[in-house]
Amino acid sequence: MDRSCTAVSVVNIRLKLFASYRQHLPPSSQGSACDLEIPAGTRAADLLARFGVPTGDGASVILINGRSVEPERVLEEGDVIAAFPAMAGG
Amino acid sequence: MFGWHGKILRVNLTDQEVSVEDVDPQTAQYFIGGRGWAIKYLYDEVDPTVDPLAPENKLFFANGPLTGTPAPTGNRYMVVTKAPLTGALACSNSGGVFPTEMKRTGFDMFIFEGRAEEPVYLWVNDDQVKIRSAEHLWGKTVHETEDALLEETDAKAKIACIGPAGENLVKVASIMNDKHRAAGRSGVGAVMGSKNIKAVVVRGTQKVPLAEPEQMKDLCKLVRSQVNADVKKGASLREYGTAYVPIVTNEVGILPTRNFQSGVFEGVEGITGEVLTEKYLVRAKPCYGCPIACGRDTRVDDPVYGGEGEGPEYETIAAFGSGCGIGNMAAVTKANYLCNELGMDTISVGMTIACAMELYEKGILPESDVGRPLNFGDADAVIDLVTKTAYREGFGDLLAEGSYRLAEKYGHPEFSITAKKQEFPGYDPRGAKGMGLLYATSNIGASHMAGDIAYAEVFGVPEKLDPLTIKDKPRLIKYFEDIFALIDAAGLCVFLSVRYLFEQNMDLRPTRLTKLMNYATGAGYTEETLLQAAERVYNLERLFLLKAGFTRAEDTLPRRMLEEPMPDGPAKGHVVELDVMLPEFYQLRGWDKNGVPTDAKLKELQIAR
Repeated sequence: MDRSCTAVSVVNIRLKLFASYRQHLPPSSQGSACDLEIPAGTRAADLLARFGVPTGDGASVILINGRSVEPERVLEEGDVIAAFPAMAGG
Repeated sequence: MFGWHGKILRVNLTDQEVSVEDVDPQTAQYFIGGRGWAIKYLYDEVDPTVDPLAPENKLFFANGPLTGTPAPTGNRYMVVTKAPLTGALACSNSGGVFPTEMKRTGFDMFIFEGRAEEPVYLWVNDDQVKIRSAEHLWGKTVHETEDALLEETDAKAKIACIGPAGENLVKVASIMNDKHRAAGRSGVGAVMGSKNIKAVVVRGTQKVPLAEPEQMKDLCKLVRSQVNADVKKGASLREYGTAYVPIVTNEVGILPTRNFQSGVFEGVEGITGEVLTEKYLVRAKPCYGCPIACGRDTRVDDPVYGGEGEGPEYETIAAFGSGCGIGNMAAVTKANYLCNELGMDTISVGMTIACAMELYEKGILPESDVGRPLNFGDADAVIDLVTKTAYREGFGDLLAEGSYRLAEKYGHPEFSITAKKQEFPGYDPRGAKGMGLLYATSNIGASHMAGDIAYAEVFGVPEKLDPLTIKDKPRLIKYFEDIFALIDAAGLCVFLSVRYLFEQNMDLRPTRLTKLMNYATGAGYTEETLLQAAERVYNLERLFLLKAGFTRAEDTLPRRMLEEPMPDGPAKGHVVELDVMLPEFYQLRGWDKNGVPTDAKLKELQIAR
């Protein structure tokens, strides 16, 4: 008998949403962050879209591990992804 | 004239005389207004080697052509003088309501010269100008002063004044207006105090004449609708104020932490915009004529840190919060309220205390000199020392001189994180290298407002740049310095201007700003002539610094920024490669290798040494 257990590959990442995007975080979040398990191969744009964060036209700044990335970047194990609306500073 | 009134009020405090002068149209146009007019007059009239606190220095309050017009955020004035903190130029900007009321008096600029024998205040009620005794106000806090003056002038008047810090010639004293707004940096409050001017009170009914009022109205309507659309989308400073920034700069690894020893602060969640909003926010507050409303009316109910007022802003949170190792928003807010009441720059006071904390923890500054322990994270020490600084009491007398003179006195100036003796604002340049070049070359010493490339390096406006590269930064810094000079000179706020009045790509052409300037003044600027006028202003400022004795040697950064790699976070391992960027910057500016504008550049800009 052949029992094939095909494990769906996942990666563990931390999602941070700042300023007005923070309201899109799930209720289980601590402060500005939550830890998620997502399918391997998920792109930053796809993950953020799930949380209602716009990624086109430079509307958002997207950082992975503190460095800015294109929305097409694939998320890897342990990544910390942060997003906030592009607007003036202080 | 349109936009500009073309009139200056000159106040001779020594002779207690006032006079009115016309501004010739070519000067008006060539130097734009505000910051630009002020440097033109300062350069022509004041010896740049003068002692900033001597009567020979002059103090300028300067509005732009767009101040007091329907332009959104057309409500900014500039305080310009030779700076006590740095010995360089001071160009300190403020909003609130005072600038618009001042413009309505019918004067574009006030010039204060000499020194009054006894404390006075200026009362400008349209064209009725009086110099009145302020002896009964001397010693009062900013709020006490405003309340008293409203009673004895006009309930609708607007006021700019100094607190005890300016009176005590504290080198980091500010000039406050509308109680909670600050022309903060470089010790402008001390210059006002040195002249014995306690306050400037204005009340005006003169409308600003406009060249093309209908066109102006249409463009302003369009801009406001775009701002409102962004507010609806949550892409605006209205929701959290500038207090949203600490969590962002922390994520990028550039939040000043414990006197810039690190760019990541473990206590950041205690000083976020969310904490401010949830616990202390009363309402969002706009300056006059602003659709954004980034200001914060706040209140803290607490036995130790209780108070109310406006703020804190990001810079204050970076200086008194992470800069001092404090993750307590109530304490930061209290320090902010104290600085506003006493009239001091939150950036320089917070970062000077941070410097003292590092000196203390390294065993350089003895506890007996401070009068108490001074570890990072000690909020009560901060609150105590802020007040002592304003009154030059005990250790406060040293803090009042700024971090450079403090650290130098103890033999370790390298722990003063300053450029030209002015404390850095809230961006560690090892992780935002354009800011490093900006701090080193700004005509007022370290400042983000001299050309805030963090817009692009951190905030993605107009586009996101890599903050860790130095490539192309010299060209961009030159351009940002010029356009910030333009915005200052025009009389607008940068929060609105950069995003809504310039094309939103890295060319940042000033398309709408040029239109607004022409609708207001009818002066027929092109984008080129307007940018050239901004460059003219910037270069004249540079000439002032050179005559004051500054050289290429002062276009530099502390050793920490040049040689100590960032220890942690996303910018780990980085320093500022200033030695690579600076020569390219000089060349792009048309300056020689010593940072001196060439004859060719001055001829092009039509200014003389």
